[in-house]
Amino acid sequence: MTKSADTHCPYCALQCAMTLKSPAALTPAVQPGSDPVPAPPAPPAAAAAAPAPAGPLLEVSGRDFPTNRGGLCRKGWTSASLLSHPGRVTEPMLKDADGVHRPVSWDEALRLITAAVKETRDRYGADAVGVFGGGGLTNEKAYQLGKFARLALGTSRIDYNGRFCMSSAAAAGMRAFGVDRGLPFPLEDLDGASTILMLGSNVAETMPPFVQHLQGARDAGGLIVVDPRRSATAAFTSDGGGLHLQPLPGTDLTLLLGLSHVVIHEGLADTGFISTRTSGFEALARSVNAFWPERVQSLTGVPADLIRETARRLADGATKGGAYILTGRGVEQHIDGTDTATAAINLSLLLGLPGSSRSGYGTLTGQGNGQGGREHGQKADQLPGYRKITDPAARAHMAKVWDVPESLIPGPGLPAVQLLKSLGQPDGVRCLFVHASNIAVASPDANAVIAGLRSLDFLVVCDFFVSETAAEADLILPVLQWAEEEGTLTNLEGRVLRRRRALQPPAGARSELWIMARLAELLEAPSTYSEDPETVFEELRLASAGGLADYSGIDYAILDRGEAAYWPFPAGGTGTPRLFLDAFAHADGKAVMTPVAPRRRRPPAATPDRDSSRDISARDIPGPGAKTMTLITGRLLEHYQSGAQTRRVSELFASQPEAKMQIHPAAAASMGVTDGAFVSVANERGEVLCRAELSTDIRPETVFLPFHFPELESANRLTEAATDPISGMPEFKFNKVWVRVATNAQQSSVLQTSEAS
Amino acid sequence: MSEQVVIVGFGPVAARLIDELLPAVRSGLAHLTVIGEESDAAYNRVLVADLGVGRTTAGALALSDAAALVADGVDVRLGVRVRRVDRARQRVVLTDGTTPHYDRLVFATGSRPVIPNLTGLNPDPAHPVLPAGVTALRDLHDAAVLREAVAGGKRVVVLGGGVLGLETALAAAEEGARVTVVHNGRHPLGRNIDRSGGGVLAASLRNCGVRVAGNARSTGVEHNAPDGGFSALLLEDGSAIDGDLLVLSCGVRPRTELAEGCGLSTATGILVDHKLRAHHEPHIFAIGDCAEVRCPDPACGECRTARGPSGLVGPGWRQAEWLAEYLTLLAEGTAICPGDSNDSAPGGGAVGAAASLPELPMEKPGVIVLKARGTNLAVAGDVSADPWDEEVLSAGAVNGRARLQVAQWADPEHGRYVKMTTRAGVLEGLVAVGMPRTAAELVQLFERGAELPADRSLLLRLDGPDQPASHGAADASRTVCRCAGVSGTAVAAAVTEGCATVPEVSAATRAGTGCGGCHEDIKGIIEAHFQGAVA
Repeated sequence: MTKSADTHCPYCALQCAMTLKSPAALTPAVQPGSDPVPAPPAPPAAAAAAPAPAGPLLEVSGRDFPTNRGGLCRKGWTSASLLSHPGRVTEPMLKDADGVHRPVSWDEALRLITAAVKETRDRYGADAVGVFGGGGLTNEKAYQLGKFARLALGTSRIDYNGRFCMSSAAAAGMRAFGVDRGLPFPLEDLDGASTILMLGSNVAETMPPFVQHLQGARDAGGLIVVDPRRSATAAFTSDGGGLHLQPLPGTDLTLLLGLSHVVIHEGLADTGFISTRTSGFEALARSVNAFWPERVQSLTGVPADLIRETARRLADGATKGGAYILTGRGVEQHIDGTDTATAAINLSLLLGLPGSSRSGYGTLTGQGNGQGGREHGQKADQLPGYRKITDPAARAHMAKVWDVPESLIPGPGLPAVQLLKSLGQPDGVRCLFVHASNIAVASPDANAVIAGLRSLDFLVVCDFFVSETAAEADLILPVLQWAEEEGTLTNLEGRVLRRRRALQPPAGARSELWIMARLAELLEAPSTYSEDPETVFEELRLASAGGLADYSGIDYAILDRGEAAYWPFPAGGTGTPRLFLDAFAHADGKAVMTPVAPRRRRPPAATPDRDSSRDISARDIPGPGAKTMTLITGRLLEHYQSGAQTRRVSELFASQPEAKMQIHPAAAASMGVTDGAFVSVANERGEVLCRAELSTDIRPETVFLPFHFPELESANRLTEAATDPISGMPEFKFNKVWVRVATNAQQSSVLQTSEAS
Repeated sequence: MSEQVVIVGFGPVAARLIDELLPAVRSGLAHLTVIGEESDAAYNRVLVADLGVGRTTAGALALSDAAALVADGVDVRLGVRVRRVDRARQRVVLTDGTTPHYDRLVFATGSRPVIPNLTGLNPDPAHPVLPAGVTALRDLHDAAVLREAVAGGKRVVVLGGGVLGLETALAAAEEGARVTVVHNGRHPLGRNIDRSGGGVLAASLRNCGVRVAGNARSTGVEHNAPDGGFSALLLEDGSAIDGDLLVLSCGVRPRTELAEGCGLSTATGILVDHKLRAHHEPHIFAIGDCAEVRCPDPACGECRTARGPSGLVGPGWRQAEWLAEYLTLLAEGTAICPGDSNDSAPGGGAVGAAASLPELPMEKPGVIVLKARGTNLAVAGDVSADPWDEEVLSAGAVNGRARLQVAQWADPEHGRYVKMTTRAGVLEGLVAVGMPRTAAELVQLFERGAELPADRSLLLRLDGPDQPASHGAADASRTVCRCAGVSGTAVAAAVTEGCATVPEVSAATRAGTGCGGCHEDIKGIIEAHFQGAVA
């Protein structure tokens, strides 16, 4: 029995190294959940009421590693408590006619799925079966899921929740560099930088141990944070740490164009680098010409002098210890997210940052395997090794690896938002598999997604808890948690890491690899499907060989020796800690500068001019007048993603049990909103009821909601499913809402709900 | 059959229109001819002063690439002027003798500098041939003249206290020239700013090394330089201001003579309706500095209060974007039903799409943000009223319309001044001098028509050292370690229990086990504990 395992945290892409130990008193490990656990009738309520577990099965300790240097945040420290959580699903659960989930055997579950898939295919065609994956899946599972969808289910309809995270930055990276690796350099390289510009990323809350790598820049006074809120990360810029730029939401692109303007006009550009290693400079220079600092000030609310100062510090930093530009979801999760990330890359190229040995551009991947998960075929338009599904050579390569005729590999499918919009529609998806994703909470326009889920003929959800999405499922399949499985993940630096098993899984839970292998058998699928992670990884190596994300030189033995395996790592070669030193990944070796400009925004959907009747009715709700404000969303330190896991950790839940709408005291005062008062945040898509939290950290015209909470507190009921035309990224960070004090009736209903739970 | 679009003028506004029309050109929907009188394609005139003081390069000013446009199929004609417009035949007659046909003609002729009536200057506005040492700072050549003077540390006299004059003066002074601004009002920016703001501004200009000669009526120009060029500006009171270069910055005037010549209605600019069409002429449009939006309908409320052309580039660019969409829809309509080149026909299809395109909203009064390094200033709207002008403030406050309110902050000693003129909490005018964050906030609140916080002083404090709110380090119960969520109380308790080092506190409480940023704070708590014990 394993007493100790070196592994990595189950949550974010920083993948902090940790060691799991079984305390001697608990050896041998008990089998959690070996007794059937009855399905909770009301999952969110059950989550809220979850008592503290009897005691952790495993002790977690931080492990020294270049990324986290032994540090862990609260989420990491408490991660083991979920392994013995009483709400764990440990048997397949079938929803009966009365709406209650009851246990069924694995044989029965697999038979039901097989029948549903076959019937759907026969009646509506193979594309009526869909798969929704996740950035939390190991590389092995993500790879095999893409293969399973395309060959065993025969569908093109596969996409994943990374579409909501990394797609804009990925598209921008591909366009500029010819390759997308979140950080094309080791994280440690940030330590020596003189200037770091962070846009739309709140690492102090989302990945706290990361903050260590900002210390050098802070000491040099060179940390520059762009965020409409004075976030915990932005607060690091005070006391001489650097600058905080607080633009109006939705104006990041304009701000970046202003920075590029200053770089060009003040002669700060690296002309040698631009002429030898990039193309497109002249058109770019013309395109930013119209964005002089005073004009940008009028559009963004950022003073012209701060814009100049930022540009100068970046240029200065590049000549000293190095300068980095890092983007996060705050600037990427927009309908112009690809262009915004492109503008950040253009700025970095003007300064010659990418390609240097001590400067660079990077995007901070969020989900645990958000990097690996976007490389090996979960995306609608992609085959393993970051290959394009429309590329004949890529298709031929995969057909050979899979030993199937190329014609068997479907073409491109639908990106996530479109896939979810198609649920239950004519010609849409009728039977859906969901893996490692809680789309009922995490998707934009969540009310519409929930309605879509309910209109399906058959919904299968793989999870270890009854998440809000699993609660909608016809069939819930219990799967393994991180400490119960082997595999690999690729962290935010593009470094492949080993996840190791420390614990026997509950008797009834199964690996998703096992589930796919059994189903492939029952569906008489072509090619092979293994339930052994290492076997799958060996196949992934072959599949990725020669692709952009080439893993062919990596194996479990190398990883177990602790070698730093950054991709591309071709067979017989070595890893690549830093990309672009000699060339970019386009055919001519040059980086491409693509001119971008803010598009005129359509009139905000929340003040519909066509549907004015709705407008009026919403404004006519009694109570002190509702105000139109801008909603932005983000994370809290204590929670991860939809909160399906962290809301079940008693320590984290006790600390942040509910969503609170952050609002500026001046705005609050004008509507009669007091600290802790219940407010209604609504638009034509839905309504959130929660408490207000007054804070001068936010701009007066903007409110903030965390997106970790379900039901009445679900921020994504308000976000719009409009998408970026290039990446398919939805608009998460710029939505119009009406804010007002909740009516008495609403307040008492909220209070009753929380008391009942 | 693609639609023939001819654009007269190739400045920044024309450049934006061309960029926005390119998709239609590439698809063959429209054929585009651009006629530019200068030999260069469009460049950013807003930055000509910057170029003149050496802060940017001519290459970086380019807004268009003529060769790239030609490659896209645009017919670009540089160094050519339009002699006249033949509306009957729908063609323009050029100085090179060619006569391109148009289905749609767009005037983007911009404006030209006003040449003041001074002895020693040729007052003919159509052919301003300025003597040596005098420039109006409008084009790349003018910039080169200024560049030479600034580089040589020469004496520059700027005539005019408007925004462009002040920007030029400040930039030239900062780059080493000795600069005097001569204006005829009580304070600079006389047309835009209130008296108090103007006073603070003038002081601020002097602090930046710019001499300011106010209430000065200039009468003539003296040419006694060795090369026969400019040597002094003569004033009405008999005095003279010596200098090596005179920069005329007396405003601009729309270039309308071509439009007038072909019988179009003009006032200050070429009169156009809300679809930017010349009055009673559906084939001709005007945008940018040369256009004046004022529709033929005398009952139109918007146009009753309309101002003339603003001289700012932002409204011109918005017009260009709108017109490109409109012209594209019109061209699509023509492609579908070639007989009908008007958009007046009701009904479906692209013709209907053009007709139903929402009109371009009227521009708000322009916002002036001074482009300068050492002085920060923003002005917008009407700021003439003072807080106690009861009559002015309550004028127009009838039928439930709120009265004007004025909030004001003046600190002349430190060069700071703010005025917010509001109606129902929404800005109708603003002044901010020496307060960069406040200026930036006020301007975007003005642009969005958003309501100000009831406590106006919030907007003043943005520039203060008390932002952000202090973290209250004295509060023992505050969170010391955010990563692990450990309070100061918990750390202190661990220290009381015997933890004497940061690692010991970390082991006991997990404080400091995330990012490590709180190690100093933990150390502080440990030290405080033991100091207390000793004492």
